[in-house]
Amino acid sequence: MTTTAEKTRRINMTQVSPEVYKAVIALSEAAAKDIDPDLAELIKIRASQMNHCAFCIDMHTADARKRGIDEQKLALLPAWEETEGIFTEQEQAALALTEEMTDLTRRHVSDEVYERAAEAFTERELGQVIAMALTINAWNRIGVTTRLPLPKR
Amino acid sequence: MTQTLENITAERLKIYKTSPELYEAMMVLSNAAAKDIDPELGELIKIRASQINHCAFCLDMHTRDARTHGVSEQKLDVLSAWEEAGRLFTERERAALALTEAITELGDGHVSDDVYARAAAVFTERELGQVIAMAVTINAWNRINVTIRLEPAHR
Repeated sequence: MTTTAEKTRRINMTQVSPEVYKAVIALSEAAAKDIDPDLAELIKIRASQMNHCAFCIDMHTADARKRGIDEQKLALLPAWEETEGIFTEQEQAALALTEEMTDLTRRHVSDEVYERAAEAFTERELGQVIAMALTINAWNRIGVTTRLPLPKR
Repeated sequence: MTQTLENITAERLKIYKTSPELYEAMMVLSNAAAKDIDPELGELIKIRASQINHCAFCLDMHTRDARTHGVSEQKLDVLSAWEEAGRLFTERERAALALTEAITELGDGHVSDDVYARAAAVFTERELGQVIAMAVTINAWNRINVTIRLEPAHR
């Protein structure tokens, strides 16, 4: 078994590609406008779970708790489709869209899922939900590829 | 060469109008990712990720851009099977493609030490950072354009 310490050390994007790093931070700021912060955390955690980004899951579950998101919601998030009365319709529509956007290798973004989101959100809100989902997908790719070290808390 | 995204038909949402800051931020990111990377290699990364993510608009744009950059028809034809193509692709191209595939397919696994080390062996740290940036950025464009169902221009 390999311990974390034995795993290959990887590059630090803030040092080798600082313009890219800054651009992703600017992208995050653009995506964070006009979206409910609690909803944004759920989108970020769900995508990070699917993409297996340990650093991102850790950061955003901590952020979600600080924002006062229910422990039960966080625990049930990977199985949100099986729950009733826990997630709002907006949350469910955004989570379904986030999952399909994250899973592009297997399928498209179906009309059913797109329309559910289009009914629950205004066009501006929907654009920002899409922006949030693709931005966390970008961070997930950086976090996993460079194996961002996890702070112990 | 570069199409104006605002003028192209999206079957679903005109996201570049509803979220103009997103479009601006994505353009800044694309420009940052394009520095210090060979443009031909950049196109191969963009096409391979777009194949895996099934982004029709992105495939159309980047196969055309690749031809403009002089990437050979044979490389474009065989790209989705590059691992089986022997020395048609250089070691740098193969290392970057293997890394791009791993970065694109996070749902199925991690970015393995083997794939990472292969890329780290043929690129400087700066180059490697920019290869990763290119793969991350095209993945973001793929997600936008698939979600809003942007149509490739008929030509």
